[in-house]
Amino acid sequence: MKIIILIKQVPAVHEIRINRTLGTVQREGFDAMINPDDEHALELGLSLKEKFGGEVYAVSMGPPQAEGALRECLAMGVDYAVLLSHHRFAMSDTLQTTFVLERAIRKLEPFDIVITGSKTLDSGTGHIPVQLSEALAIPLISQIYKMEIKNGFFIGERTYGHEYQSIKVKLPIIIRVDRGFNEVRFIPLLGIKQAFEKKIEIWNFDTFECPDEIDGCEKSPTKLLEVIDEKIIRKNVEIIGTNDEKAQKILDFIKKVHIQKIKSPLDLE
Amino acid sequence: MNFELTEQQKVVRTSVRKFAEEVLGPNAPIVDKEAKFSWETKKELEKINAWGISIPEKYGGSGLDSICNSIVIEELARVCASTALTVTVHNSVAAYPIYKFGTEYQKEKFLVELATGKKLGAFSLSEANAGSDVSATETIATQDGDEFVVNGSKIYVTNGGVADISLVGAKYVSENNDKGFAILIMEKDMLGYEIGEPEDKMGMRGSSTTALYFDGVRVPKENILGSLREGFKVAMHSLDAGRIGIAAQALGIAQAAFEMSADYSLHRVQFGRPISKFQGVSFKIAEIATKIENARFLTYRAAWLRDQGKSFTKEAAMCKYYASMIGREVCQEALQIYGGYGYSKDLPLERFYRDVKITEIYEGTNEIMKAIISRQVLQNL
Ligand SMILES: Cc1cc2nc3c(=O)[nH]c(=O)nc-3n(C[C@H](O)[C@H](O)[C@H](O)COP(=O)(O)OP(=O)(O)OC[C@H]3O[C@@H](n4cnc5c(N)ncnc54)[C@H](O)[C@@H]3O)c2cc1C
Repeated sequence: MKIIILIKQVPAVHEIRINRTLGTVQREGFDAMINPDDEHALELGLSLKEKFGGEVYAVSMGPPQAEGALRECLAMGVDYAVLLSHHRFAMSDTLQTTFVLERAIRKLEPFDIVITGSKTLDSGTGHIPVQLSEALAIPLISQIYKMEIKNGFFIGERTYGHEYQSIKVKLPIIIRVDRGFNEVRFIPLLGIKQAFEKKIEIWNFDTFECPDEIDGCEKSPTKLLEVIDEKIIRKNVEIIGTNDEKAQKILDFIKKVHIQKIKSPLDLE
Repeated sequence: MNFELTEQQKVVRTSVRKFAEEVLGPNAPIVDKEAKFSWETKKELEKINAWGISIPEKYGGSGLDSICNSIVIEELARVCASTALTVTVHNSVAAYPIYKFGTEYQKEKFLVELATGKKLGAFSLSEANAGSDVSATETIATQDGDEFVVNGSKIYVTNGGVADISLVGAKYVSENNDKGFAILIMEKDMLGYEIGEPEDKMGMRGSSTTALYFDGVRVPKENILGSLREGFKVAMHSLDAGRIGIAAQALGIAQAAFEMSADYSLHRVQFGRPISKFQGVSFKIAEIATKIENARFLTYRAAWLRDQGKSFTKEAAMCKYYASMIGREVCQEALQIYGGYGYSKDLPLERFYRDVKITEIYEGTNEIMKAIISRQVLQNL
């Protein structure tokens, strides 16, 4: 089985800074890490390999220093790592990113499964898996909580709104995993040793026949207008009473918050 | 000169830190309180290959350099010093000496299982009447044909109650009446090998410390580590390597105390302002930070010298002496910054303080470190 995992390097959580003029997340000089969702994608890819054999590729688009994240993927047990890096890829929005990823994945054809996380910590759109599914014309399977691979088919269960669905899909597919899906292994020391003896492939604009439409800076249709800080206001409340009364007060509070929340259409998805 | 860690060393730090915080974190206060060795932790450590950090891959280890080894110990100690002790003793003074001085037979038979974590190792030199003074060793190994018959006892053996394989220092009398000091590889299921009761300790309570008793234990002569006469050299070289690990351990504990107290000083408000605004407190933080930085450079430098294949006896003694001393000072001052809260068992400061003290004593007391350092410095004048 050939598995491709898409990963992104993001600034370590405590390090996030916004560049106000560019409207982008500042990356220079900060600690970086693998996007947390993507670690779950990695875990799934590696456990599938352990079960069915095959090869696992980690693919990341990003600046040269994203090699660090790929090195960690290799340390976790990935067989091959590919970095998509070029100045024409810089400043890409999700559409431009999809174009590049699509070409990289096609270059790795034939493959069985592409695995992605749900969203990234530093931009959080969740567009990539959906757009890639469209671009590659293969099904996207998301919200799964149980799965197996059998005779070239994905067989699994997922939540879908208020339903549970059983699904069976022919490979190749894209699987999108969430953070709760599995427990990510720790990086073993032997893996770290071996990761630095492996080579990370670098693919750039000239590696695949990139059409002129690929130009992150000039041709990204998404324009960022403004970046606003999310303000979380914390309030201390004292909950007094018997245990039952306290429980009731907490329950009432949760209900109230929940009702407020679904007033926003964005929260309905 | 380059003061930056390599990319590999950085990954070792971030991944072991994550492991330590998530796996050891919840357990650290429990193993301290219950004075219990955790076999679950031992298994988790096996999964990240922590039992053969610098042993080559060929023998089941991870083949990382000594700086990586120090970083692993430091990061484990930052969360659970007892676990760091178990790991550093196993790696540096049990597995490593077999790699460095062992025959191919010994490596195949003992090292592979140690490095993969299938078996745990110990190093037992100290006796009731032979602590700093190894020459006073009373355990005796008398040759009888192809075997040595060992009688005597050891005290304060780290991993004593959990180790399958122990390196034991003994005076020997060979068949042709040759006498000297040897290190023997013993296995816990050898007839006459007995484990004493666990020691009730001030700190490092999650690590196993016991006496060992040898009542006519028959050890095959293939189990002599290095040649018969090399015993003392084997022991001293192993301790040189071990001391870098002890320094890293003290450093990790100090780092934890520093992080907690610095953070606390920013948030604890008295007289209408954070206590960090008082020079009496902020100067403590400055002193702590400087001492830790100092200890870290000494420790990594000793490890680096070892990686370069250069002599590191003096530097190992220096980093062990310095890091353990400042480790104790840092924990004491960090606790002081916490005031009464620091004295409570609800917080780990008092554990750090109890744990760190032993780093000034074992693998050679700091007085002995100074004896080593002064001898080295003066003889090179
Ligand atoms: C938790 C724990 C774990 C241990 N683990 C191990 C282990 O795994 N293996 C092992 O072999 N041992 C182990 N030890 C023993 C430890 O290494 C010894 O306690 C240490 O070497 C000191 O020996 P001692 O206790 O006999 O003290 P002593 O040697 O009696 O020293 C008493 C005091 O006299 C000082 N002193 C002695 N000689 C001199 C001198 N020449 N100049 C100046 N001062 C001197 C010492 O510095 C010390 O302050 C452990 C001990 C503990 C408590």
